[in-house]
This record gives sequence, structure tokens and C-alpha cells, in this order.
Amino acid sequence: MSSSVSVAAEWDLLSDRFYRRITIYSPLPWSSPATTTASSSGGGSSGVGRLDLSTHIVAAAPFGGPIAAVRDDSKIVQLHSEPSRRRLLLFSSSGHPLASSPWTPHLPRLHSLAFSSSLNLLALLSDGSLLRFRLPDLNPITSSSPVPLLPPASGGVADAVFWGGGVAILTEDNRVVVTTDIEVDDPHPRELADPGVAEDEQVLCMAVVEPQFVMSGSPEVLLAVGDRVVAVDEDGVQVLGEALEIGPVQKMAVSPNGKLLAAFAHDGRLLVIPTDFSRIIFEYECDSALPPDQIAWCGLDSVLLYWSEVLLMVGPNGDPVQYNYDEPVMLIPECDGVRILTNSSMEFLHRVPDSTTLIFGIGSMSPAALLYDARDHYDKQSAKAYDNYQLISSSLPEAIEACIDAAGYEFDVSRQHTLLRAATYGLAFCSRFPHGRFQEMCKILRVLNAVRDPEIGMPLTVKQYKLLTATVLIGRLINANQHLLALRISEYLNLNPEVVIMHWACEKITASAAIPDVVLLEGLLDKLRLCKGISYAAVAAHADNSGRRKLAAMLVDHESQSSKQIPLLLSIDEQDKALQKSIDSGDTDLVYLVLFHIWQKISVEKSAPLDFFGVINARPLARDLFIAYARHSKHEALKDFFLSTGRLQDAGFLLLKESRELERNPMASKGSPLHGPQVRLVEQAHRLFAETKEHLFESKSAEEHAKLLRVQHQLEVSTKQAIFVGSSVSDTIKTCIVMGNERAAVKVKSEFKVPDKRWYWLKSCALATVGNWDALETFSREKRPPGGYKPFVEACIDAGQKTEALKYIPKLTDPGERSEAYARLNMTEEAKKAASEANNGDELFGRLKSTLAQNTLIDTLRDRLSFQGTY
Amino acid sequence: MAQIPNLDNAALNLTALREQSQKELLSIIKSIRGKKCLVIDPKLAGTLSLILQTSALKEYGTELRILSADPLQTECPKVVYLVRSQLNFMKFVANQIKNDESKGLQREYHLYFVPRRIVACEKILEEEKVHQKLTIGEYPLYLVPLDEDVLSLELDYSLQECLIEGDTSSVWHVAKAIHKLEFAFGVIPNIRAKGVASTKAAELLNHMQLEDPVSMDNMGIPEIDTVILLDREVDMVTPMCSQLTYEGLLDEMLEIHNGSVEVDASIMGAQQDGKKVKVPLNSSDKLYKEIRDLNLHVVVQVVRQKATSIQQDYAEVKSTNTQSVSELKDFVKRLHSLPEIARHVNLAQHLQSFAAKPAFHARVEIEQIILEAQTYETCYEYIEEIIQKQEPIETVLRLLVLFSLTNGGLPKKNFDYLRREILHSYGFEHMPLLYNLEKAGLVKRQESRTNWPVISRALQLIVDIKDPENPDDIAYIFAGYAPLSIRLVQHAVRSGWRSIEELLKLLPGPHMDLKRVRCLDH
Repeated sequence: MSSSVSVAAEWDLLSDRFYRRITIYSPLPWSSPATTTASSSGGGSSGVGRLDLSTHIVAAAPFGGPIAAVRDDSKIVQLHSEPSRRRLLLFSSSGHPLASSPWTPHLPRLHSLAFSSSLNLLALLSDGSLLRFRLPDLNPITSSSPVPLLPPASGGVADAVFWGGGVAILTEDNRVVVTTDIEVDDPHPRELADPGVAEDEQVLCMAVVEPQFVMSGSPEVLLAVGDRVVAVDEDGVQVLGEALEIGPVQKMAVSPNGKLLAAFAHDGRLLVIPTDFSRIIFEYECDSALPPDQIAWCGLDSVLLYWSEVLLMVGPNGDPVQYNYDEPVMLIPECDGVRILTNSSMEFLHRVPDSTTLIFGIGSMSPAALLYDARDHYDKQSAKAYDNYQLISSSLPEAIEACIDAAGYEFDVSRQHTLLRAATYGLAFCSRFPHGRFQEMCKILRVLNAVRDPEIGMPLTVKQYKLLTATVLIGRLINANQHLLALRISEYLNLNPEVVIMHWACEKITASAAIPDVVLLEGLLDKLRLCKGISYAAVAAHADNSGRRKLAAMLVDHESQSSKQIPLLLSIDEQDKALQKSIDSGDTDLVYLVLFHIWQKISVEKSAPLDFFGVINARPLARDLFIAYARHSKHEALKDFFLSTGRLQDAGFLLLKESRELERNPMASKGSPLHGPQVRLVEQAHRLFAETKEHLFESKSAEEHAKLLRVQHQLEVSTKQAIFVGSSVSDTIKTCIVMGNERAAVKVKSEFKVPDKRWYWLKSCALATVGNWDALETFSREKRPPGGYKPFVEACIDAGQKTEALKYIPKLTDPGERSEAYARLNMTEEAKKAASEANNGDELFGRLKSTLAQNTLIDTLRDRLSFQGTY
Repeated sequence: MAQIPNLDNAALNLTALREQSQKELLSIIKSIRGKKCLVIDPKLAGTLSLILQTSALKEYGTELRILSADPLQTECPKVVYLVRSQLNFMKFVANQIKNDESKGLQREYHLYFVPRRIVACEKILEEEKVHQKLTIGEYPLYLVPLDEDVLSLELDYSLQECLIEGDTSSVWHVAKAIHKLEFAFGVIPNIRAKGVASTKAAELLNHMQLEDPVSMDNMGIPEIDTVILLDREVDMVTPMCSQLTYEGLLDEMLEIHNGSVEVDASIMGAQQDGKKVKVPLNSSDKLYKEIRDLNLHVVVQVVRQKATSIQQDYAEVKSTNTQSVSELKDFVKRLHSLPEIARHVNLAQHLQSFAAKPAFHARVEIEQIILEAQTYETCYEYIEEIIQKQEPIETVLRLLVLFSLTNGGLPKKNFDYLRREILHSYGFEHMPLLYNLEKAGLVKRQESRTNWPVISRALQLIVDIKDPENPDDIAYIFAGYAPLSIRLVQHAVRSGWRSIEELLKLLPGPHMDLKRVRCLDH
């Protein structure tokens, strides 16, 4: 187990746990002297001056995020070859310069820098205003002028604490202002309750319990004032831990889970207390009574204190561990440890994971250690490998698990390898171990190793990666313009590459102002094709916003979803294309969308509607939809459209519709002269129909209609009965006969050239209605009826007049008809006889029989079923 | 028995489909807290009764109203409109809101479009200046299970819209509904379409699959193998004929709406007069399932046989005391079917009173003569006579359309004469109706020889039914006429379009036989 010893030798024991410091990146590129002046954004590694933590205001984002710095002009600094103008610098965690931009002169003093959780850079100025910059190019967000967070006359910033989602500011006049919506365009700062700091008192230090750890969901600010600590929130102020008698607190830090507070007291004690100050969990007396420059939690088990050149790690019991640094240090707390940034290196200090301890711990005989050892033997082709295996065969799964787990915690790729190889050795003997677990770890490590590469510089641990999630990591890579890596990772992890390609395409368009449309389009399509179902419309919209309308038009052509394509075509003024595409889509709703757009545009531009009519008349679907819509709400426009496009018959029908609406109108009551307009509309329609040869029938009918209305009007006047208008020619004749006005009926008959056949039906029916059987008989004798005596028979049978009917039935010439007439009168024998005279007598008779039989059958059935009520 | 059909025996999991619609509707209702008035358009109200018990809605503090042109009468502070996206409803909604305002009523208005929002509808709301006052949503109801083997789109006006108005919204709607179905049952591999609208719908369906693909990988074997799309225009003949099956006659005489008929209570043997009762008609009624497609004559016999056998049992039970308990149980069980039998006895009797009339026989006979297309004069004179007698205009127009379709139109003289007779008999207000029938090609002037006899012969549409009680051909449902569309479906199922390609060319619109790519089955 010789190899294991060297690993554990680098560990430090604190309380009963081991800690280790891993150097991730060293030396950092910025520690070498600069050669040239700072270049603009994203230049080569030689382009940016050295970064000295002691002379800069620095911020570093958690989860291996970037580092931002601005020279601290409150300090006297010797400028080497750097320009005297200050610049805002951005580096990756590996010290590679990402961007820089000149710091706007004449701003109030910079108080502090910080990153928000979505990686925007925040710069708080001493007057309490905030500048925000978007990564990766440090462009100011919304405007270049700072957003004020403090009320006027608050005296500026005395202290400030940032967390991912906000900032708490202590003002010079001891008020606390909290802003939680720091990412939105116009943030809403809120002043908390007055902490009640007396005139002669001073706020010694400040800490924030982040909102996600507070019941109320809003942050709680802890202030050390005099010898007390107060918790301030929106509703009030609470004095904490008076019973603990801590004395004045010089420095505080809240633990990563928001439950504990590390407080450095004026007498040199470091105390760890719950945030409700109920008790002291442990305390440690430091050699120095001077407050440390920085204080930070390392995980949940230890606290780091940093004084110049000394970094002290204090645990719940036992001696602290001391590290010495001869250069300035910045502590960057992570969820599972602390990153230590110096002028020359980036380190990670964390508790040695249990699995690692099991394997590499000095003298460890754990199954995991034996498995690791077995692999070593196996590689050396030693039989001891099998001996080891036999020792641990019963606990193989946990040994494999430990090796896989430990591999995950390693930054060193070769050590990841050896650990995973140890695991595979075990896997060979252990079929019940889930192989997926091994593959999953390999996948994670590949991703982690890729982003840890100094060129990318995101030193994530497994734990951080899982907390951050792959999707967010990809988002961060995209925002750092690492599209290729982001794409590879998406593909590798089976995530949808759409977001990556989309972002790339938009960035590409922004960055390619000089590239001609066609060339750029080719390049874009090449990549966009990689992703099925990607929204070309969204890329096109971006192109349009970047002032490249032609490119947008070319891109939108490739969009397959009409519902996305068409609105965009409208927004880039491609109306004709939009109309055509909407028609092709078959989705009438989209056609309407385009129609209304064009209609609105035309009405704004005050060009004649004729243009619009012209556009739609060429496209049947658009035209018909417009007509359907206009029928419901725009009659006048519709009439114009019909007239201007030569559809006179449709205009005619529209007039007829209007005339009917007039008729329905109670104002135009029967017999009133208001019939005038109705007749006029019908006549107008008649003239329109007459314009074209194809509508001769309609034209004649409209003419007759108008004539009928006039005749009916006269009838109403002469009879003083408002019962004619609105009825048909036939009904008018019937009404006349029923009223006994035979003369008027005959007049209508001749005026409208009613054929004799119809006349016989109408008159016999009308006479039967009023029961004038004598008149009916006289009528039958006038002459031989042109259509036979059927009208007489039916009129009598319908009126239930058997005797009258029998007068006419024998006169029916067709025996079939005769038979049926008898059958209707239930005269079976006569019906049979008549049927026998007919050609198809048998069939006729059969049918008669079955009808009669069915009726009786079902009636009896109904009676029989009446017993249903008995149960 | 409930009007909501039992779907347990369906070939597809239609219950899940219906439950989805239920859930979506309830979540809309639940999302609006407190007392609310749900205003539904008249047609949709019927459709919803096939999806859930309206009483279920009342549990969520919902009052129900039917949308009309009249002001809304309710005390509720919130109003939820649930209407199909039709232009004509928008004015109603706008008027009701304006009416509330004129009375100083402050209410919260929601409008849910069925099945989706439509720009044109919202445009009207904007013009009426009520758009701002409405919270707008969608209720994506496309297909409604009418029975275990029928899904309906409930698009009443699609034919008129497509043929006369040129508004093809319904074609998109059809494609969307099928696409939605594919999300549940997998991509349908075979599409056979005939007609302008059907081929367009098939194209749209393909396009939708491109835009918003149903995954073909994870679904396994698609549950639906073939979809056959037929334009109504392809077979306008069949709906003009009088149906002779029990269900067909019920529809002809009483009109089946949403799986039920409304009849006078007296017809159903109840005492109170004038009151209407709703009789549900679907496969959940076992007897109905058995007799719905039978000829009315046969139905009467079946029902009689069932009733008699129960009656005999009843007589035995009454006269002897020898039955065992299990025999008695058996009898009681059979008694439970008595209400079903009684129901259909009542309905059949009612139908018989129509069907036995000579006028009905005459009509069926003339339909046959028209379909056989042999004797022009007889048909022409018959139609002339019923116009002059002023029989109901629907009857007249159905025969006239049938006549014109089978005869390839009417000679101009006859055409104009009959049209004039119709206008004189029923009023000039029917001018647009005649114009539209002409526009749709249903009643027209004869321009070329009719190809109906060719079609009829090739597809064997006229069949002599020898034994109406045990028919061996579908033609029994129309007294010897096999519906053209059914023959087409029979061919499409059996061998695809290829075997009747020449014939299809005689019918309106293009046809299409589409195979959609599928991943390998392994």
C-alpha cells in the first residue's frame, strides 16, 4: 500500500477529520508580467495586465465562475507598465482573461463587486448606486448610468453584503436597505426596520441570512452594534443572544446552510452559534485579538480565518490547522469547500470525502482500500490480486461504490483513472452492482474534466456540478461563448442542443456585421440543420433586430412552423409572402391574421381599400375568408368589394338579405308605406342580376318578387288585412280563395302565370280548408282537371271527409292511386279490388297488407306490456 | 340510462380520450374561483352532455346558461363563456357584456374558445370594444365520442363552408383532430383520401407531423392502421335518401341529437301530455345495440319475440309454485330488460305510424326510381306535384337534389320551371338557397351526360334484397340502394384505391393513397 501513503501525506487532520488543499491552477497566467497594454474584449492571454489582489477590488462567482476585478483607487499603487486609466477586468477561474472594458471615469468610488446568480456582474458604488454588466463582453445592462438603490440623503454605503439574488446595504446613517430583485430592469430596494443604532455607537460588522433560509422568505440582516447583535428584517429589530455575553463582534459569517454563524469577538474568540443565538456550539481562542481580514465557512464543519499571511482553519475541537501564504489571498466559499485565490494560484480546500479516506487513509484495511490494492496487484500480474478479492468478496459492492465515489472527488485525471480501474476490477466479479452507476460517473467526470481545462476554467466538483445541474452549466458555457464545448456536452448528455445552437446563431449574427448575408446564411444553416425542429423564426427575429432584414427574410424561409413564420414575415414587411404562406398552411386563422394586418396597414396608410381588394381577390381562400368575416361585421365594405370586383350577383344577394332584414323589422309593419324601401332594394337587386347573362333567372325572380310585394301591398290595402306581405305566390292565392275573393286569386294567377296544374292543387286545398264542398264540386265540373282528380281526392281525405272523397276517387284514372286512396280510407276490399287492376298489383297489395298487419301487431304488443306496472 | 355512452367495448381507449376532455373542462371551471355563470353556445351544450354530467359542474358553484341574443340573467359576479369559435357568437357575447354595463353591473368575464382562439373572432370583440374586458382561453375539444365506435367532430356547417363560402377552416380542424388522435394512438400509417377537402386534410396532417411530430419510436405499433377520408361532396346521393333502419328512421322522424331523441312524454307511455322527454340512444342500451341497424319490420318482430317470452315466463311464475330460487332469480334478471323493451316498443310504434303512411311508401318508391335513373318523366312529374302540393320544402329539395345528381342535372327548361315553381310555392326568400344549391352543384342545369349509371353499375349500388330479414348486403338499409360512400370504404379497406382508380376519376375531387414512413418494428 505504498502508493496510498503519499496521497494521505498531503492531508491535514482537524478534529477527527482530514482536510486537503488541492492546487487546481498554478501558476495563473496573470502572474507573469504583462507585456502589452490591455486589449479590448477577449484578447489573447498576454493582453491583460497582472492582477494583484492587494491592489484590486475583486469578485469571484461561486461554482467555479469567473473573476472580476477593478483597480482599487483608494490605495496607492505602483503602476508598472499598465495604463493609468482603470479597466474592468474579467478572468476565468483559471486566470485567463475573458474581457475587459474601460471603467467609466468620474463615477463615485467603487465600493464592491459581485456576481449575481445568473452571472451578471454587479458593481456597487459608494453613493449606493449600482452598475450591472452582462457577461461575457461586459456590456452594461439596460443603461450605462447607475441605478440608485438608496434613498436620497442616506449618506452613501457604509457596508454591503451580496448574495446570489440580492444585496443588503448599510448606509452611513445606519439604515439598512435590501434589494432582492437585483436582476430586473428596475430593481425595487426596500428599507428594513430602523436597527436603532445610537449616535455614539458604531456598526462593527454585518452578515445576511439569505431569504431561502428565513421563514418569511425575505432576508434577515445581522448587525453587530456595540456589544450586541441585532437581527433586522422588514417588520422589526430583534436583539440576539444577550444571555451569551459574547461582547462586541468584529466579524461574522453565516454557514452555507444558513443555520450557523461564525463570529469573531473583540477578545479574539471565534464562536460558532446558531443564527437564533440560542447557545454557543463551540468556541476557540485565537492568538490574535485583531479581527481577521476574511472569515469563511469551509463546508459545514470548519471555519477559515485569514489574517495577512496566515490562514487558520478552526474545527469544533482539537488544534486548528494553519497555512501560511506570502501573498494576498481571497476566500471563495463553495457549497462543499472553499476556493483560495492568490496572485499566483487557485486552490481548493475541502474535507477529504469518506470514500477517499477509506481508500487512501494510512493503514486503511477497508474493502475499498483492498480493492484498490488488488487492482494494483493485478496490473503487476501478481496473484495477490485474487487474495485481496477473496478477502472482500462479501463487501464488494460497497468497495466498488467507494472507488467510484472517490474518483468523482479527484481533480487529478490519472488518479480518477486508477480509482475507476479499481472499480472495474471489482465489477468483473460483481454482477449485481448497477453498472449504470459506473457509467454515470465516467460521464460526469468527462464533463468535469472538460470544463476544468484551464482554457475553459470552471473548476467544478461533482457536488457543485450536481447542485448547478447540467442545463445551467451549458447555459454558463454558452454565455462564455464556449458554444462548441456546450454543444458537445449537450450531445454527450443527450440534452437538446437547440438552446446551444440557437444562442450560437444569434451570437454569430451579432458578431458578423461584415459578413455578407448569403455567406452568413450558409454558415448558419449548416449548424441550424443539426437540430431538428429548431425555431428558424427566432433566429430570423434576432437577425431582424440586428438590422439585417434581408438575412431575416432568408432565414424565415426555412421555418417549418407556419404559426411562427407568418407573424415574423409580417414584422419584416413581407406581406405578400406571409399571405401566400398562410394560405399554403391551410390554417385559416393564420390567413385571417395576415388579412387583418394588411387591412389595418392600409387603413393607417389611408390608401384606397381597392389595393386591399386587389390583393385578396387574386387569392380565393383569402377572398372567401374576408367575405365570410365581412358578412358578420362589415356589410358596406363587402358591398364595395363585390361591386368593385364585378361580383354583381353577390351584391344582389346582399341587397336581398337587407330587404329581408327590413321585412323582419317590426317598424316596417304590414301594410305600411315602409314597404317602399324593401321593394326598392329588391328592384335594385333585380337590376344587378340583370347586368350579367348568367343570372337571368335570379333577375326575373327578383322582378317577380318586387311585383308580388306590390300586389300584396295592394291586397292588404283593399282587404284591410295585413296578412299578405311575406307570403308566397301560392299562399297569396290560397288566402284570397279562403277569404272568398276568387277574383283577386284569379288575378294573381294570371299576373304570375301560375300553371293550371298548380292552380287546381291550390284552389281545392283552399276550398277544403274552409269546408266549401259545394264550391269544390262546382270547381271539379268546370272542366276536366289538367292533372286529374287527385287534388280533389287528397283535399277531401286530408280534411277527413270520406263521403266527399268518394265522389272523386272513382274518377282517378290510375288504379294504383285509386287503391291507395281507398286504403287511406280503410276500405280494404275496394283497395284490394283496385290493386288487382294495377300492373304491379301483387306488390302493392302485399305492401298494404303488411302495413295494416304491423299496425295491429304493435298495438297489441303495447297493451300486453302494460303489466309492467305490476311489479 | 345515462346519455354519456359506455365506451368500455370500444376498440380504442376512448374512455381516456373522454376523460381528458372532462379534466380539461373541470380545470377551467376550477381555475375560476367562486360563484360563476357558465354560458355555453346551444350546440356545444348538447356536445358537452356527451362528455360529462352537467350536474358535475354545479358542484363548483356553476350556474348554466345557453348563449343567446338576449341579455344574460344571473346573479353571479363572474361569467364564463364557453363557445365554439364562430363569428356569429361574438356579437351575442358583446351584447351581453354591453347590456350588463348599461345596467351598471360589474362582472368578471372569461371567454373560452372551443377548440381554439381565432383571430377573426377576437377582431369582432375588438370592434365591439369588449375585448379588453375578457380573459381569453381555449378549450381544445376536437373529437367527441358519440358511441363506442363513433367519434364526431361536431362540425355541422363544414359542407356549406367548404362548398359555398370557400371557408376551409374545417379542413384544418379535421387534420388537427386526427393529429391529436395520433398523439394518443400513434401515427396512422395509411391514409386514403378522396375529394378536394380530404386530400388537403391529409396534406395538412402530414405537415403537422413535420411541425409537431408524434414520436414514432416510443409508441410501438400504432393502434389505428388506416384512416379513410371522404369528402361529403363525393357522395351527396346517400344523405338525400330515406333511411329505413330503426336508427335511421328515428333520425329521419325524430332527429337524433348528441345520441338521444326528444319525444313527447305521451309517446313513451307516460300520462303527462305536452312534456318532452329525452331518450338516450347508444350502445349502452343492449337491446338498442342489437336492433339499431335492423329494418323496422324486423325490429318489430325482435321486440315482440322478447316481450312474448318474458310474458310467458311471467305467466308461468304466476301459475305455478314449482320454480327454484335460481329460476326465479333468472326471471327477475330478465325482467330488468323490460324497461328497455318497453322503450323500444313505444318508439317503434311511433315510427310505424309514420312509416305506414302511403306518402312514405310513395317517397321510398320514387327514390328508388330516381336512383335507377330510368324514367325521367315519372320523377320529374312527381317532384312537380309535391312542389305544387306544397309538401315540406326539405322533402322537395332532397328529391330534387337526388334527381339532379343522378340525372347529371336538369334540362334548362325543366330546371328553370321547377325553380320558379319552388319560389312561387315557398316564397322568393328561397332564392339564395337555390343559388347556393346550384353553386354547390347539387341542383344544376344539365351540361353533359350523367355518369351515375356507370358508377352505380361498377360499384353495384342497386341491389335486389331477397331476404330483408337476413340481408347479405348493406343495400338493405335503403331498400336496395347501397350507399356510394360505404362501397368506397369497402374498397378502400379491402384493397386500397388502386382497384377502382378509373371509377374514382368519375367522382369529384382528386384521390390519394398515402403510406407514411414508420420505423422498423424490431
